[in-house]
Amino acid sequence: MSLENFTGGRYPLTPHCFDELVTNAGTVRPPAGAIARFIDKHGAPELFKRQQQLNQTISDMGVCFTLYSEGANIDRAWPLDVIPRTIPSSEWQRTSAGLKQRLTALNLFIDDLYNQQKILKDGIVPADLVLHSKNFLAPCQGVSPRYGVWANICGTDLVRDEHGTFLVLEDNLRVPSGVSYMLENRTVMKRVFPELFADSTIVPVDDYPAQLWQMLASLSPRGDGTPPCIVVLTPGIYNSAYFEHSFLAQQMGVELAENHDFFVEDDLVWLKTLRGKRQVDVIYRRVDDIFIDPLAFRADSVLGIPGLINVWRKGKVAIANAPGSGVADDKVIYAFVPKIIEYYLSEQPLIQNVETYLCQDPLEQSYVLANLDKLVVKPANESGGYGIMIGPRATPLEREQMAAAIKANPRNFIAQPTLNLSTAPTLCDTGLEPRHLDLRPFILQGAELYCSTGGLSRVALTRGSLVVNSSQGGGSKDTWIINDEG
Amino acid sequence: MLARSGENIFWLGRYLERLDDTARLVNATSHLLIDSHKDTEFGWPVLLDVMGLDSSHILMEYGLDPKDASQLAHIEQAVMQHLISNVESPISIRTACSQLKFNARTIRQLLPRDMWEELNKLDSFVQQQCQALNGRQQRYQLMTEISRRCQMVLGSVDSVMLRGDAFDLFTVGRHLERADMVTRIMDVMVLQTLQPSLLKRPRFRWISILNALGGVESYHYYLANNATGAEADAIDYLLSYADFPRSVSYCLNRVAASAKGLPDSAATLQHVQQLQALINQQPLTDLSTAQLHELIDQIQAGIIHLHQVLVGVSLSEQQALTA
Repeated sequence: MSLENFTGGRYPLTPHCFDELVTNAGTVRPPAGAIARFIDKHGAPELFKRQQQLNQTISDMGVCFTLYSEGANIDRAWPLDVIPRTIPSSEWQRTSAGLKQRLTALNLFIDDLYNQQKILKDGIVPADLVLHSKNFLAPCQGVSPRYGVWANICGTDLVRDEHGTFLVLEDNLRVPSGVSYMLENRTVMKRVFPELFADSTIVPVDDYPAQLWQMLASLSPRGDGTPPCIVVLTPGIYNSAYFEHSFLAQQMGVELAENHDFFVEDDLVWLKTLRGKRQVDVIYRRVDDIFIDPLAFRADSVLGIPGLINVWRKGKVAIANAPGSGVADDKVIYAFVPKIIEYYLSEQPLIQNVETYLCQDPLEQSYVLANLDKLVVKPANESGGYGIMIGPRATPLEREQMAAAIKANPRNFIAQPTLNLSTAPTLCDTGLEPRHLDLRPFILQGAELYCSTGGLSRVALTRGSLVVNSSQGGGSKDTWIINDEG
Repeated sequence: MLARSGENIFWLGRYLERLDDTARLVNATSHLLIDSHKDTEFGWPVLLDVMGLDSSHILMEYGLDPKDASQLAHIEQAVMQHLISNVESPISIRTACSQLKFNARTIRQLLPRDMWEELNKLDSFVQQQCQALNGRQQRYQLMTEISRRCQMVLGSVDSVMLRGDAFDLFTVGRHLERADMVTRIMDVMVLQTLQPSLLKRPRFRWISILNALGGVESYHYYLANNATGAEADAIDYLLSYADFPRSVSYCLNRVAASAKGLPDSAATLQHVQQLQALINQQPLTDLSTAQLHELIDQIQAGIIHLHQVLVGVSLSEQQALTA
């Protein structure tokens, strides 16, 4: 296609999909005005040139992600498309209110589960669903972390339906990642498109590290006025999100440590520093629950900081996210979140869920089995896009195998209709083409609530594909919240 | 700072300096050849020997006979591969750069963004440009560019890095490596003149080494104001003239100054003092070439010992904490 007339209706919209930048009539949405003017003025050659500059900038800045088991060549350059995705600030205000509402309710829910369990007794959420979940951790019962908040950092995946309405696809409450790329995408774009930033009112994103530090500091159990010792706990340099761990530690000005840098003594957690031991107040852990403390969760594991959970239970150290938060990060629990919001907050959810069928319900299961070719089936407890079957794209054999897996373990599966995810113009070999994308904003809750400005937009780089995960060939876009409120 | 990170930041300093100094070592030879008679034979394998390798063994791995004069051009090529492009070689520029990046990645949280970016640019440049090696002229330019890019990293360190334990350890590592590499570069010259087959050849001029180390002008200043002799004084200058930032004496002073603020530095300071005494104990101008080679060996052994003391401190610290 020609780019000379981007606004002239030659961009090939995908039927029944909302496009982020272009209306169904082919006109440019107001927040994308500056981008359209740039494309019309400079044309395709300039876009390709800027894409090259952008790739070089990413390499210079060392923005990368790590793929599992790639041997020595462990770092991959982070994929970022030159065309940003725009959202008007008025819409973002409403969306972030909905995200804060959701996290508030989820935290009340987790705190309830590990204490009174009122919601189970009232029969809003089936008790066996929670109590038999592998994510319900017995050692966490009776604990109430500061402010009653368990999931301090949440990455919520949003998608738009064909009418452009945001829906929640999933809540990531364990160790959500991606925020470093949201921040670095913006830094890269500012260097590559300085004139676009002068031509529109793009709300900055860069207060996130300061907000994160403040939230973590608000969890510190030490009340003596000394600055808290906050440490990022990473599984190490070979972890897929190591880039993010070191980036966040650097941006917050705190230490990045591994299990063996800590030890427990006299009911306190200590860090081994060059100048002796230092008491740790807050651990921002980027390690899964079961690998935090070998004494608490897994007798067969030697990973973790022995004794940590005991210190945490006594309130002498804060852990974010708190162990056990994952009980609410389960695709079956997800289906109950609208009810959970109503139950705790007596409010209607501001953002809706995607319609979800629970395979453990016999009626819904039979619907799912009869419509496998139309549905997306997801395992309840996986992340990174692993284990998902997209019905319309699956082979008959894959569908058969999935049917057998569902019958064998119905609790472990949910199904959702195949969504017409929204699209945005993305630079491909031939020019601009629509590609499907989602959005992961990051919500913080400690003494206060905070929602990131926009989030990380992940885009499926293959035509028609709905898989946006970077571990499976997805790319990203900078997300611009454009001030439309004067 | 984590106890464990101490060693990484120390190595970061060492590898950055090693990269720069290996480039200078290669260029010292270019200067030598430019300044020599056109029939001069240069003992290329010496460049491997000064790096602590067995050159005959290495060259055999490249399928070459070090004694075969007809293979001289191939020997030069193989030595350069081993020093610059071969990723299997422990002393190559590409290996040093990978190690530099690895250490930086491990302690990124301690590094300012500017420094991190300069390190990334340096690494992509080295890994891309040091694959195929061309003639001497291009090699010279490539080495100069690598040194220049190392200076860019140092510039960012100098202007934005916090002055604290991390900076001190980085500085200690850098100057320990520099002292070590300067003695190795000097040894190239010493070993060249010791080679029996070359005894009849015109003696190489020390000025080439000074050129590669960026010290020609300051050497002239030194001659005009401090010394009397001629050639031998370059040795004195490179070892003990503490005002020149690439002299061994200067490097040791910097190691001591930076180590002073670090925990448990007594043993380090004591070793630095012993090394300084070794350099200053005799008038260096009186040394024969063989004695000079012997002295350089002693200094290098002292530097290895000093390294062990430095690294040992942070390790024992960790062990004491876990006990």
